[in-house]
Amino acid sequence: MPRALRSSGRLLSLALACAVSGVALAEERAPQSSPPAPPQAHGPSTEHTPAEWLERMNTALNTRNYDGTFSHWQGGQVEMLRIIHRLQDGVVSERLASLDGSGREFIRTGSSLSCYLPDKRTVLVEQRPTDQSLVGFPTVNPQTANFYDIREAGHTRLNHRDTHVITVSPKDEFRYGYRLWIDDSTAMPLKSQLSDAHGHVIEQIVFASLTLSSRLADALFKPEVSTAGFQWLRNDAAPQLLPGATATAWNAMRLPPGFRMTVRSAQMLPGSAGPVDHIVFTDGFASVSVFVEPQPDSGGAVITQFATVGSSSAFSTVANGQKITAVGEVPPATVEYIASQVRAAQGASPVGARGR
Amino acid sequence: MNEELDSQLSAMFDNELPTAECELLARRLSRDEQLQARWGRYAIVGAVIRAERGVRLNAQVARRVSVVLRSEPALAGPAATGVTRVRNGMRWWQPLAGAAVAAGVAAVSILWLRTEAPSGTPSTVRLTPAVLQGGAQMHVRNGGAQSDSYVVPRPPTQPRPALVPSTELANYVVAHSMFSTPVARRNLLSAFMTSEPAASGTEEPQNNAQSTAQ
Amino acid sequence: MSADASDLSLVRRVQRGDKGAFDALVLKYQHKLVKLVMRYVRNPAEAEDIAQEAFIKAYRALPQFRGDSAFYTWLYRIAINTAKNAVVSRDRSPIEYDLDRNNSEESYDMQGRMKDSETPEGLVLTDEIRSTVNAAIDALPEDLRTAIVLRELEGLSYEEIAAAMDCPVGTVRSRIFRAREAIDRRLREVFEGGLGRAEELG
Repeated sequence: MPRALRSSGRLLSLALACAVSGVALAEERAPQSSPPAPPQAHGPSTEHTPAEWLERMNTALNTRNYDGTFSHWQGGQVEMLRIIHRLQDGVVSERLASLDGSGREFIRTGSSLSCYLPDKRTVLVEQRPTDQSLVGFPTVNPQTANFYDIREAGHTRLNHRDTHVITVSPKDEFRYGYRLWIDDSTAMPLKSQLSDAHGHVIEQIVFASLTLSSRLADALFKPEVSTAGFQWLRNDAAPQLLPGATATAWNAMRLPPGFRMTVRSAQMLPGSAGPVDHIVFTDGFASVSVFVEPQPDSGGAVITQFATVGSSSAFSTVANGQKITAVGEVPPATVEYIASQVRAAQGASPVGARGR
Repeated sequence: MNEELDSQLSAMFDNELPTAECELLARRLSRDEQLQARWGRYAIVGAVIRAERGVRLNAQVARRVSVVLRSEPALAGPAATGVTRVRNGMRWWQPLAGAAVAAGVAAVSILWLRTEAPSGTPSTVRLTPAVLQGGAQMHVRNGGAQSDSYVVPRPPTQPRPALVPSTELANYVVAHSMFSTPVARRNLLSAFMTSEPAASGTEEPQNNAQSTAQ
Repeated sequence: MSADASDLSLVRRVQRGDKGAFDALVLKYQHKLVKLVMRYVRNPAEAEDIAQEAFIKAYRALPQFRGDSAFYTWLYRIAINTAKNAVVSRDRSPIEYDLDRNNSEESYDMQGRMKDSETPEGLVLTDEIRSTVNAAIDALPEDLRTAIVLRELEGLSYEEIAAAMDCPVGTVRSRIFRAREAIDRRLREVFEGGLGRAEELG
């Protein structure tokens, strides 16, 4: 596929680099030193509660090294993707690539997240802080049981593997449910379904192949696409946690039952003109991010729009010089509700100093 | 070997030979074993330069296909519908405007993208075949059986609300993904990785100027 | 002149009954297709089987090919669908869990070679081909090497290469051709060479 033309000087030096590396590419790479062995999931002699199975699954997904391909079914379409994940010396590397020709890839190396969008000829690079308190995800806690029914639906063979089937059923329409086939010995989710509050399956992921390796080479985490001529958008400053004192305004907010604020930070997003407030709400299972940023030219009108990305929902509203965007793996009504509540709270007491 | 001929072969391999010369060379290529062998070696050179790791360079695919083809019926010409050979030889296919359109193309042209607010006032964006051409996926529906045509599945009876992600939405998706459970994160990013490319004119989020009373 | 006049002229011949022209198309795209299929199926032999199946399907579907898209684009979609179907409809478990082995690595090392299950003969030939070509490229004068690398690795058109190298398009064509000539001279020895491993292509 022809690439965009740039100044001949730069292209020529690229060509020379390629001419050299074109030969080097075929050569052997030095083997990586093997990382410490990840914690092993132990055998079935211990009975685990359904919630424990979820914990074990999350631990496996976060700490094991694996390389697999899976089918992703959503909206009547099936696509195949490849996922590679490695935890080595405390650093997480991850790569998710579409196998169906869009060429899009998501690569995470440590604290740097890159999103390769060949169809936009753009690469987004978001630098996240290494401070663990800003990187987290919901964990099941005793409160969660008020809003989800977590139970084991059975023990079954899936693709010649023994799996526990765990269901997480929402008790209201603000959230989605899951059905997970969790491999007995490794706790990896071999199949997962997302369903709405009526029990209709709206998304499914099934692994077609999966290899858990003791070592994965760095080369596996390089993008396949060539980025010559692409636009690179990076954020320049690392996110900062905002002081908790301003949380009082947020606590007064009405949120869907079970949701509470967990993290608040200010960060630059790649290509953003200024710092963006990023607030995370979670019910222990689902999470919703709300982004607040200035939008000066909105005039008097209130402009809203919806979007879905697969089964996740997004909602944004622009009013009074601010744009509020909510994204989460919840039904559309939930993101709209949370975003509008944030907007109301913003109106009530302008939160945070804009001069950072 | 005739150097001029080989030079033409090299250009034709790169899709850089004028059409008229292609016709002549194509005829020779299909008959001349040595010319075909050289053509095949050109492909090998490309594969080595691209370091197509794992691909066997002495792959027998071509030979095996050729063998299978011997027992296949020779094709009798392009399918009759909608194709006219223009006498001057420069353009061969006519655009399939109007009626007799193959099923696959018809299905593609009635795919809808719809953004819908919960309040129930949908605004629909109709995708034209030209827009879809770049990104439409075609899915084979009849299992592993050999099918001679590829038919796009019928659009779902309830079009799902869907957005073609803009670069800006990508920011939010990526930033949010670090705060989801691993399973949810994988779902979100998978969906994002496989979204259809943007239809023209929607690089920025649509402004459906709905005033919502709050 | 359409962008893939070359492919189209071959496709037209196939549609009029010339199977040899299809052989030429397969020769041109077999490696690319196998590489594509290997995204779905790791085993090279299996990938080749699927690629073969995709080519046959393409041949049979060729009467319906109208040139709305480039031939390779059309072929690419067929290959993806064929690969997906193969993955989904395999009789044995599609899941290869390498979990229970102590040294749980994939069965390929970094060069993508398969251990144990590949005939040494075929393996050696691939490596020999690769090293022959690489050595030949190394030995090329810089302008020839640059031209062919820009073409094959970056996929630039002759015009784009001419702009990059600041020379006429005709010079680009000539440089690429001469690069191929030089490499081909060495490559022919591998294929026609004396140790009796003469493998015809196609």
